[in-house]
Amino acid sequence: MAQHTLEVLVENSPGVLARVAGLFSRRAYNIERLSVGPTADSSISQMDIVVNLEGHALEQVIAQLDKLINVISIKEIVPNKAAPAVHDTQPDYQN
Amino acid sequence: MSQMTGASSLVASLEAAGVDVMFGIPGGAILPAYDPIFSSSIRHILVRHEQGAGHAATGYAQVTGRVGVCIATSGPGATNLVTPLADAAMDSVPVVAITGQVPSVAIGTDAFQEADIRGITMPFAKHNYLITHPADIPRAIAEAFHIASTGRPGPVLVDIAKDALQTMTDFNYSPSVNLPGYKPKLIPDNQSIIDAAALITQSSKPVFYVGGGVIKANASRELLELVQLLGAPVVTTLMARGAFPDSHPLNLGMPGMHGTVAAVTALQKADLLITLGARFDDRVTGKLSTFAVNAKVIHADVDPAEIGKNRFADVAVLGDLKNTISALIPALKAALGKNQPNLTPWLHQMNSLQAAYPLGYDKPHDGSLSPQYVIERLGKISGPEAIFAAGVGQHQMWASQFVSYENPRTWLNSGGLGTMGYAVPAAMGAKVGAPDTTVWAIDGDGCFQMTNQELVTCALNNIPIKVAIINNESLGMVRQWQTLFYEGRYSNTSLESKRVPNFPMLAEAMGCVGLSCEREEDVDATIEKAMGINDQPVVIDFRVHRDAMVWPMVAAGASNDDIKIARETAPDWDSQEL
Repeated sequence: MAQHTLEVLVENSPGVLARVAGLFSRRAYNIERLSVGPTADSSISQMDIVVNLEGHALEQVIAQLDKLINVISIKEIVPNKAAPAVHDTQPDYQN
Repeated sequence: MSQMTGASSLVASLEAAGVDVMFGIPGGAILPAYDPIFSSSIRHILVRHEQGAGHAATGYAQVTGRVGVCIATSGPGATNLVTPLADAAMDSVPVVAITGQVPSVAIGTDAFQEADIRGITMPFAKHNYLITHPADIPRAIAEAFHIASTGRPGPVLVDIAKDALQTMTDFNYSPSVNLPGYKPKLIPDNQSIIDAAALITQSSKPVFYVGGGVIKANASRELLELVQLLGAPVVTTLMARGAFPDSHPLNLGMPGMHGTVAAVTALQKADLLITLGARFDDRVTGKLSTFAVNAKVIHADVDPAEIGKNRFADVAVLGDLKNTISALIPALKAALGKNQPNLTPWLHQMNSLQAAYPLGYDKPHDGSLSPQYVIERLGKISGPEAIFAAGVGQHQMWASQFVSYENPRTWLNSGGLGTMGYAVPAAMGAKVGAPDTTVWAIDGDGCFQMTNQELVTCALNNIPIKVAIINNESLGMVRQWQTLFYEGRYSNTSLESKRVPNFPMLAEAMGCVGLSCEREEDVDATIEKAMGINDQPVVIDFRVHRDAMVWPMVAAGASNDDIKIARETAPDWDSQEL
């Protein structure tokens, strides 16, 4: 399964990381990698979330993420299939 | 702009948001807010348990379409709101909860009555806030009301630290909000409407699969016009009872686990589901892989995450349902002008199923009172304008099946979360929202014992609800499953509520009129007596047969094709042309 990177712009507000992480956990999706950093606009942060999901599951996770009030936008980076998955320490429960 | 405390700013913000009533209980952390509440135009109803405040806010919201408001203190006050807020989330009810929080310097120190209610409600609240600066209060309140009531409605919690309530601030309320991450799409794309209309004209077996979203969007009138235009059968889910009149010949009733044979079969055999504000819940679909296998799906909803969640949508229509249905009517008129499908054979099949398998029940052989009969009479005597709130279990299913709902917002229940104890406080909120309407709580003896303390609130605050306890002295639905799936081993489902408590005496002790009825010949007179009492709440203890069961039934996890009309009895499919 290809890894997909979601570039998520969020409001830089307390609890926003918990909201995103909690969403993945309660809907039973794995996060492969997650990084959070500032953007040029100090009121907005960027989260890069790498997931091992495709098709319906990927669409659902994007739709559910988009429902979070603090999530401003989600951009899916098209996976580069030539590049191997860097790391897969967690079992993948999606099937 | 004027200087005031954060607490006064909170109350002024609630007033500016249009709040006329709220349900709550004060306590330490929220106490500063209760001082300006004392002199506010907002009616505050002092409940006996915060769960009652939450369900009352929900009942109020479901009846009026406005945002319901509840208020509690920190810690246990806030955690007692968790169940009703989860309930409101599952049933998409607009509720705003205000909670006090320990002072900001004490947050994170395990202070007295500290609970991280923002963290606790994060998984299900539509959104929530922790406010530590008084200047943020008006904006948070404006946003909370906007978020709760727009798009797919839901609960929003605003947790406010005590010092933010006590500190002086400038009051500056503006109803306009700036939420870059929240812009619900309300107007459907024209192309999706055209595609939906085209798909409908290609169908010879369409069904309107109507969910609670139609009621939330106030789209019942538009739905009636759309249904009459196409002339296709309609099923109304548990959350949609009343969205379309039960008396209409095209209404096949409720689908799902305890749905009518006609409604369940219509979905199973359809070639098109015109899905309006429904979410393919497991209680409707049964085993998903065997659900409506030959049907294409039009899925209209305001929540993009519902589309395709459980079932692929051939045509997705994203938008407010009132807008969607209003746009679909002229588009379908135009499409039908070019291609008018013949639905007569399909309607004939459904009519024959309806005639062969109407909802019904057998009266108990031992002459004891039939619960279904009681509920049927409650509906008939109270009339189509009355509002009914049910708890969860057998009585809830019978109240959905045997009361005829003609109007939206007359049927309240906990559909998604299945919260026992919902009925009494929800009926209280409903009566506050519709004081001139008869409001019945149809409750089980198990449910009633969870939240009946709110009858004290009703008695003291001139909220004369009527409660019909369907007393089968058991956790009836669980007992039914034990009968069917656990060989009649009735582990911990006998409540003995015909012995203890004495419900009429309990009712009288709480300032209500208490009545009792256990013979069929007394049912009408007892209900009519209750209908005549409008200055006090009334509780009737209907002592009914213990072993009545809810039929039809599709067992959990089974296919809808395996619907049973009685124990081990399937419909006679061979006699039906499907």
